[in-house]
Amino acid sequence: MHLRSAMWLTVAVLLAFAATLPLAAAAEAPGKLIRLTFYYPVGVAGPLAKVIGEMADRFNKEHPGIEVVPVYSGDYDPTLQKVQTAVMAGNPPDVFIVEISELPTLLAMNAVIPLDDYVRKAEGGKYWEDFFPAFRENSTLRGKIWWIPFQRSTPVLYWNKDLFKKAGLDREKPPQSWAELKDMAKKLTVREGGDTKQWGVTISGGWNDWLFEAFVRQNGSWLISPDGTRVNFASKEAVEALDFWVDLMHRDKVGPPHSTWGSTPPDFVAQQTAMLYHSTGILTFLRNSAKFDFGVAFMPKSKSFGAEVGGGNLAIARKIPKERQDAAWKFIEWMTSGENAAHWSVASGYVATRQSSYNVPAMKEFLAKDARYLVARDQLKYASGKMMAPNFQKIREILKKQLDDAVDGKVPPQEALASVQTQVEIVIKR
Amino acid sequence: MSNSTAVVNLEGVASRAGPGAATWGSRCRGGTYLYLAPALVFLVVFTYYPMGFSAYLSLFQWNVLTPEKVFVGLENYLTLWRQPLFWLVLRNNLFYALGAIPATMVLGLFLAILVNQKLGAARGIYRAALFYPTMIPMVAAAMLWVWIFNPGIGLFNYYTGFLGLPRLDWLYDRHWALPAIIIMSIWKNFGYYMLIYLAALQGIPGELYEAAGLEGAGAWARFWSITFPLLGPTSLFVFVVAIISSFQVFDQVFVMTQGGPADQTNVLIFYIYQNAFRFWDLGMGAALTTVFICLLLVLIALVFRAVGRWVYYEGE
Repeated sequence: MHLRSAMWLTVAVLLAFAATLPLAAAAEAPGKLIRLTFYYPVGVAGPLAKVIGEMADRFNKEHPGIEVVPVYSGDYDPTLQKVQTAVMAGNPPDVFIVEISELPTLLAMNAVIPLDDYVRKAEGGKYWEDFFPAFRENSTLRGKIWWIPFQRSTPVLYWNKDLFKKAGLDREKPPQSWAELKDMAKKLTVREGGDTKQWGVTISGGWNDWLFEAFVRQNGSWLISPDGTRVNFASKEAVEALDFWVDLMHRDKVGPPHSTWGSTPPDFVAQQTAMLYHSTGILTFLRNSAKFDFGVAFMPKSKSFGAEVGGGNLAIARKIPKERQDAAWKFIEWMTSGENAAHWSVASGYVATRQSSYNVPAMKEFLAKDARYLVARDQLKYASGKMMAPNFQKIREILKKQLDDAVDGKVPPQEALASVQTQVEIVIKR
Repeated sequence: MSNSTAVVNLEGVASRAGPGAATWGSRCRGGTYLYLAPALVFLVVFTYYPMGFSAYLSLFQWNVLTPEKVFVGLENYLTLWRQPLFWLVLRNNLFYALGAIPATMVLGLFLAILVNQKLGAARGIYRAALFYPTMIPMVAAAMLWVWIFNPGIGLFNYYTGFLGLPRLDWLYDRHWALPAIIIMSIWKNFGYYMLIYLAALQGIPGELYEAAGLEGAGAWARFWSITFPLLGPTSLFVFVVAIISSFQVFDQVFVMTQGGPADQTNVLIFYIYQNAFRFWDLGMGAALTTVFICLLLVLIALVFRAVGRWVYYEGE
């Protein structure tokens, strides 16, 4: 009796379950909703995750058939790891942002699709040319466009006007050249006994490999060829640039030899340092936190002004169905429209990637109030693409280790960079 | 561990039950294995199989640029052997172990003896306060200590300044970064060892101290003749746990230094993480994991051999 009723119950449950299946399928069929997973990093201080969430919401409202689900995935390194893990597991996020130097790695993993067909048709064919040329550079490899510039920056020099005045310097005149930088940094360094109370200049750690590339650019050379096949770490120009760092941080001790990317903006706000090399992406954070007047300047020149771009691009995964890729493209096109690029720039402090963004009324109004947001854009004239190569994470570690050793005075600059050259050649050829 | 004790006890019961109970005993043993099976299955599926698989993977070159595995034999191990960074990482681990383990154990024991005294109502507060750092999640504590060690506005330099010590850059100085992490880890971990020692101290019969008091033994003599030997098994346990955890150090390094400056705080687990998930060199990561497992096994075997001789177990 018991057994029989249990059997009937089971059958009933199974039937009930089976009955819901076709219903569920039917409910999904008309106007099928495509749900896209979107991994994104936040590379700088500030509540940027909120801005991304707000933009995704707006996109979802305007596009009833698509729902983008933004997933905050840490800063750049963890985001890359999550994307790589997901790609290897065969379940990639549909659309994602990773740091621009990782393109060759993504191609080696066969993780992304070329976007040329989409790009050609977008905005009547005028879409791609509207991006700043320097930002376009890290998108192209092997003759194809692989991803679209989104949260993009260059390093700039921030200076504390109050501390300049206190040191007897003109508060409106930041250093123009390396020589001036060194000179001013000496005057701005405050020591009490053996302790440094205030540094002259902080060249921020964490992404010091990125900042170092800028110094090499200013000195008229490069580190890795745009196609990622040739390396040039031990050039005379690079050695001079590193020697200049050793001057600042080891011989004259006007800048801290080590720091982290996240700790230096608060140090600047706490007036622990008078000048700071960092991404333009922290401008909004500084503006909201600093209780003193500060300026934004081009990085000082050696042979010329020079910078390289940085930040993250939007890519579409390869191993997802075509309809999802099409939907992902709609999202990317929307996120990078002139107007939304302007909106993102105002909210974050990143440089708007599109030249037309600077004609958007809201952007104009915003820039009229604070012209400091224009400095990074103007510096783009002197900027070029960021170095990229397969397995860039490893190259970055190798370079950072030798930079650390050199500014501690453990290894002469020549020897440090020669070591980077040999090691990176092995990584690239592997 | 507790499972194997259970087996021993059951056997003891069975043999004492006399003749006639033998069949029951053997049936019972089968039952024991049956009950142990789920735990064993879990261990095999989630521990031994991954360990073996990782050893197998370590024989391949498998990374971002060679997504298809290529058999290379022991090449990954040879590469490690020739890599100065690998030896630096081992040195850092050793330095961390030497810096953290004795200090944490001594501090844990010392404070356990203190809070075991009759302190009245304040005792609970003291115990809670000392145990508090252990309860904070490591990542949160590490974030906190990044600020405590901040060279300009950090608490640590502020306090050492009162003692007339020079201001240090701590996490940003190649010589002081690892000691800074050791200091933080001692602060974080001593409470756990204190708790274990406290439990063990309360297991020591009071009569022993009374007798020693009658014989006229001072506090120092009582400690060396009663407390210390009777805490032997606990100390062994604490020592083994401390060794294991000293080789597992990762969170602090990840949050506070990322292995820098110049790899001076790069430790084994962080190095594995770097190779496997940052450089995506899975073959190398697997080789390092295998080295790590072997190293730990050898270390613990050595500890048991060396210490097992003079640790006194009650009832032996």
